[in-house]
Amino acid sequence: MTGDETPAGASPDVPALAVRDVSVRYHVHDDDPGAAPAAPAPDGVTFEVRPGEAVLFLGPSGCGKSTLALATNGLVPHVVGADLAGRVLVRGRSTADHAPPELSRDVAMVFQDPDAQVVTGTLLDEVCFGPENLLLPVDVVLARAEDALRRVGLWERRDDDPAVLSGGGRQRLAIACALALGSPLLVLDEPTANLDPAGTEEVYAVLRDVVGRGDRAVLLVEHDLDAAVSLVDRVVVLDGAGRLVLDGPARDVLAGHADELAALGVWLPTATLAALRLRDAGVLLDPVPLTPAELAAALDAAPHLPDPRPAAPRPTAPHPTGTASLRPDPLPVGARGTALPRDEGRGAVPSAPAAPVLVVDRVTFRRGRGRDATPVLRDVSVAVGAGELVAVVGANGAGKTTLAQLAAGVLRPRRGTLDGRLAVAGLDPTRADPRELARHVGFVFQNPEHQLVTSRVDDELALGLRLLGAPEEEVAERVEDVLRRFGLAHLRDRHPFLLSGGQKRRLSVGTAIVCRPDVLVLDEPTYGQDRERAAELLDLLTALHREGTAVVVVSHDMQLVAEHATRVVALADGSVVADGAPADVLADEDVLHAAGLRTPPLARATRGLAHPAWRRVARLADLPVAARAEVPA
Amino acid sequence: MSAGSLAGGPALPGADTADGDARLGRFAGPAWDLRTYDPLVTAFGPLPVVVWVFTTRDLLTPALVGLAALLVILLLVRPPARVVGVLLLGLPVLAALMTVSFGVLTDPRAVDGTVLLATVGPFELWSGALATGLATSLRTCALLLLVLVGGLSTTGQDVVRAMVQQLRVPYRVGYAALAALRFVPRFGHELEVIRAAHRVRGVDHGRGPLAGARRRLGYAVPLLAGGIRHGERVSLAMEARGFGAHATRTERVVVPFRVRDVAFLLATWGGAAAIALVVVAALTG
Repeated sequence: MTGDETPAGASPDVPALAVRDVSVRYHVHDDDPGAAPAAPAPDGVTFEVRPGEAVLFLGPSGCGKSTLALATNGLVPHVVGADLAGRVLVRGRSTADHAPPELSRDVAMVFQDPDAQVVTGTLLDEVCFGPENLLLPVDVVLARAEDALRRVGLWERRDDDPAVLSGGGRQRLAIACALALGSPLLVLDEPTANLDPAGTEEVYAVLRDVVGRGDRAVLLVEHDLDAAVSLVDRVVVLDGAGRLVLDGPARDVLAGHADELAALGVWLPTATLAALRLRDAGVLLDPVPLTPAELAAALDAAPHLPDPRPAAPRPTAPHPTGTASLRPDPLPVGARGTALPRDEGRGAVPSAPAAPVLVVDRVTFRRGRGRDATPVLRDVSVAVGAGELVAVVGANGAGKTTLAQLAAGVLRPRRGTLDGRLAVAGLDPTRADPRELARHVGFVFQNPEHQLVTSRVDDELALGLRLLGAPEEEVAERVEDVLRRFGLAHLRDRHPFLLSGGQKRRLSVGTAIVCRPDVLVLDEPTYGQDRERAAELLDLLTALHREGTAVVVVSHDMQLVAEHATRVVALADGSVVADGAPADVLADEDVLHAAGLRTPPLARATRGLAHPAWRRVARLADLPVAARAEVPA
Repeated sequence: MSAGSLAGGPALPGADTADGDARLGRFAGPAWDLRTYDPLVTAFGPLPVVVWVFTTRDLLTPALVGLAALLVILLLVRPPARVVGVLLLGLPVLAALMTVSFGVLTDPRAVDGTVLLATVGPFELWSGALATGLATSLRTCALLLLVLVGGLSTTGQDVVRAMVQQLRVPYRVGYAALAALRFVPRFGHELEVIRAAHRVRGVDHGRGPLAGARRRLGYAVPLLAGGIRHGERVSLAMEARGFGAHATRTERVVVPFRVRDVAFLLATWGGAAAIALVVVAALTG
């Protein structure tokens, strides 16, 4: 727009950001899981971001990625208490000598939580907030605000309250606020971790434009590599101890060092993971693909493709009554510690339909009264059998959480707001006594802290059993069992609120299953978590449903859903738009788009392949594996 | 002041003037629109009247003051139809409910010599008590309407602006207050979720005041933990946007103090004085 829009001083000689031998040690910080309190993370890291460059910052959880992001504008150590050794220079100025507000001219930041970045009551006020703090003249403030809002496509909504925007909209607003500061470096710390697929797409469209213009350097901390990989020039990788291991062009690092990264526990793009698996099966793809499109091209160009894994035949039609898949897993369980998903979650095997343990029969549910009443669920019917792992997917606001909460008795509808019938293990969840219901249904909230009620980890697990009147020996035995299975045994006497994020999540799942419910319902269990912990949790759920528990997961992480669910129910605007095997639902682009969802990356790569048998491959587990399991073509 | 979202901000044409001439901002407009007045005047101007109404005990004064405040709202603020509906229909219902319940709660010994109107179970309703209830209820409604004059005509953001510009309140304090206001609805929602979560766990603290206290303590820990974390994040985001970089901030919207503001203040206080000294005196003879 105006001359002010080009960040001042973006001279090519001075790096936008220079990190020199930086180590950070937190004083006390319980929120940073995985970081041992004594060891610094990051540890002795050196790298630079040059003007106009887009850099992706990777590492396993606990390696200090977010810490380093916060150090770029001095929030670490000035605001978040920590000891920082080494030097962080933004355009040549050391963060040691300048407070974060002073550095906001040089570094703008976008955080993970869209809710926690809103200060004012309208979009325009919000975008003006930064430039006003910098004491810019009024006309410059307004010019920057208009330019920034137009760039993220929100100018027409400038008089709205930010609270009415979707999550993706609020994150775009946060990017506009960062752009309006006019700084030559934009740092984004997991900007899409809390968004649904449509919101993620919106944010990446905006980021692509920012990177495309080349007037700002971007440092991106992100776990969703499938979205980020096409955007960045360079990748910097830290290992689990917070030391820098790789720094180079995106393709060199991700494709050239894929094995090393996998061994480090760094998540790779799904296309690259697929290529690694195929290589083990004897199919060499060159160059190693990073995106679904590249994978598709490489597969079509491959001289010979073995048949995809002869997975158990999948039910081809949606089956509203649900099927049970109690078949035990014949495959050995893979070693932990790699980022590669294990050989599990094979297709649901149609067997005699078991009596469903969870029945939602033609349920319509309205919120509000009288003429203001709006239906949240419209004529929804779903049945879940024992041993199924059903994923309920849909955009934010589609009614997923409402459905889950009604089914588990969390939401008790007022008289006249609900039509239809709900049954869980023979009980009506809208009326049953909460304690009686708790015996049969476990519910895990998005935020595990909400449901932690005692002051010790083992008491927390024992609570449900004691309320049911179980004898003390049995309580002790079952608590011990869950502590061990969930890796919490050494934390038994800790206060639940002092656990790390991943530990709290495991504990909340533990409290829900310790009474051995017939049905376990989880609301967005992967929300705001990194890929690794999300996969760990899904592994846990897979084990549970194999043992016969009916598991219902509300989620919008499509690849995780594809890998683990035995059935997918898609909701759009309160109605069921699809109900069937993951391969069927996830292959139906129209349905997914209508539901505000996106095809998971692997299905995106395979759906247009020349080889017909490959078009149905949506899961890494469907790919051919090393010769031992291969059926001759 | 939390009614900021209620007031909803000016419609698009108003915003266009804001872009055209930022210095006049949203306070440009005809004098019959209370939204163009100094937010401090509309929000705090009626406060002396509030204090005075609070001390009255008769029926006529709060009724007249409330009516005047209602007229100001309907004529000068002209809120959306939904709000008008609530004011015109909901308020009388509320007044009636409060009249009866305050009436029942009034000590019957204080109204000796009046008529017993009804008895429901242990409750007795005396005509004198009903009159006391009506007075209390009218007073409450009048106070509500007086506060709504400011609440419906300005936003929290503008009150903070005016405080910073005219009262020289440090902007950090002003924005901290604003951030705190945004917490309120969030807290409410969070509390609801925590309640549901505890119910799902099958936790029942039993009945009685002790159990109630224990229950609230159980909600307090997660509520506080969530609140503190949220507050920390908001403050990180604010600092990252340069909040606190300088001793002052650019004032994009200048809040004017004009003749109309003086007129509003004089009219508010004069009107109240007239009601007190002339109208009530005349009507009660």
